Amino acid sequence: MPRILIVDDEPHIRLLLEQTMEELEDEGVELLTAGNGIDAMNIIQEKKPELIFVDVMMPGMSGFEVCSKVKHELGMKELYMIMLTAKGQEVDREQGMKCGADIYMTKPFNPDEVLKKAREVLGLA
Amino acid sequence: MAQVKISRILSKSDVVSCIYDVINSLRLSLRIEDADNKVLIGSNDINPSSSFPVKCGNEVIGWVRGDEGSSLVASFLNILTNAEFEKKVLAHEALNKYKELTMLYNFTEKIATCRSKKEVGQLVIEEARKFIKGDNVSIMLIDDESQTMGIIVASGSEVYPKIMLKAGEGIAGSVMISGRAQIINDVGSDPRYKEGKNKVSSLMCAPLKINDRVLGVINISSEEPYQYSSMDLKLFSALALQTAVSIENAIFFENLRETFITTIQTLAETVEKRDRYTGGHITRVMNYSTLIGQELGFSDEEMQRLVFAAILHDIGKIGIRDMVLLKAGKLTDEEYAEIKKHPVYGEEILKPIKQLRNIIPGVKQHHERFDGSGYPEGLKKDDIDMIARIISVADTFDAMTTNRPYGYCKTFDETFKELAKNVGTQLDPDVVAAFLRVYEKNKTLSLGV
Repeated sequence: MPRILIVDDEPHIRLLLEQTMEELEDEGVELLTAGNGIDAMNIIQEKKPELIFVDVMMPGMSGFEVCSKVKHELGMKELYMIMLTAKGQEVDREQGMKCGADIYMTKPFNPDEVLKKAREVLGLA
Repeated sequence: MAQVKISRILSKSDVVSCIYDVINSLRLSLRIEDADNKVLIGSNDINPSSSFPVKCGNEVIGWVRGDEGSSLVASFLNILTNAEFEKKVLAHEALNKYKELTMLYNFTEKIATCRSKKEVGQLVIEEARKFIKGDNVSIMLIDDESQTMGIIVASGSEVYPKIMLKAGEGIAGSVMISGRAQIINDVGSDPRYKEGKNKVSSLMCAPLKINDRVLGVINISSEEPYQYSSMDLKLFSALALQTAVSIENAIFFENLRETFITTIQTLAETVEKRDRYTGGHITRVMNYSTLIGQELGFSDEEMQRLVFAAILHDIGKIGIRDMVLLKAGKLTDEEYAEIKKHPVYGEEILKPIKQLRNIIPGVKQHHERFDGSGYPEGLKKDDIDMIARIISVADTFDAMTTNRPYGYCKTFDETFKELAKNVGTQLDPDVVAAFLRVYEKNKTLSLGV
């Protein structure tokens, strides 16, 4: 069963992303959520999701750290990481790419784009 | 609206451990199934004495089967299901609002770059149907002089300038007068409705308003009956507001541009008037240059530079004395040297005008020759600005086809043969070839063919 993990400290963003990709649940995708980087790391090791949406700015462990741990420490290179960043913080882009993020998306995100990307990464028509 | 699945509720580890705690502490024997009787918790081995449904609204989404005490677990799951359902309804609503917001946000960003009424209109038509259900969208603007409204852009089969309404006439006309947006869900029974080409059952019409001024209206309509809601109207009005601001900006921009172009043209014609042989020369060089530019696939931006440079290519002649410029006989070397200064004078005249700085190479180099024997700098081939190479061809062609002291009046066919002789020495072969292609395609050199 393919899994998508949503990591954001803001509950409403988690909810919106979940709702955006809700229809994928009917196609057998499991949606997981985490409100911080530490929970996210536990879920990643336990459930091995295929795709992660991770917010950059989170208290405790930032999205960069999560990304770097996943890609470099755990060596999970094939895990597709999408960084979410608030509009106007595009300067972070470079740092994100260094951490091994696959792509960037800016918030407010475009729900249609998110769904399309998720389908593409998971290979769903 | 998607229903809640029991498997989703049981995917949360805290819920599952809570259920096991209850089962263990009360020593219950039960199993939990989904709507298709697939066992999610417990096993098929037990023989249940009772079954309790887990419901989402009126729909059964699962079962708790076991002894009497299982009802406790069923109640717990029912509460969780209803909470999950409410959360879902709210999330669905929130996502819809979020989508609207994202679209409005993108729309605002895109519309800010539009520079003409048409561009604004086309973008609005494209975007409006993403927000609001509708088959056709049109924008009508009022003409201040005639006080009639005409469509500037429309989707569907209603195209400019089919419908002209007097202010007050039709639904659009009445919205124009009242300045208030309206929903008409049953268009057929509205006596104001004037039939057009599109099939219309329901529509919304919003004024394009800036403060208290109404510039026109925007319509969206559905071919099949549809109940537009007050929420739809609110969103549509927000869209109309953005559209109005952008249209007004576009009008200002277009006016400014028009004034600028007219000023340039007047300036160029003032110079032309001094020279009795060159009546209409500027217009013809501009037309020929335009045809060549189009044939060479110039972008809008390049095209604009080309047109401006063509209009102003001889502006420097204003600095040449009448007795030289208008001399009928052969020029002395000295006089010819003076004539040859006009491209540099042109550069000097245009330099202070910021908006025209990018046409200077086109003006300054229009007497350079392809083989490097031209003036003022003796540039060669690709070192000569492309626009200057085009103007050079257009200018030469016009000199050959009009009666001038140093030229002959020839037919277009003869002139093209003559031009061919100058290819590679004076003129750029590619430009001449492009010009010839245009002529052979249309057998005329008028614009707009």
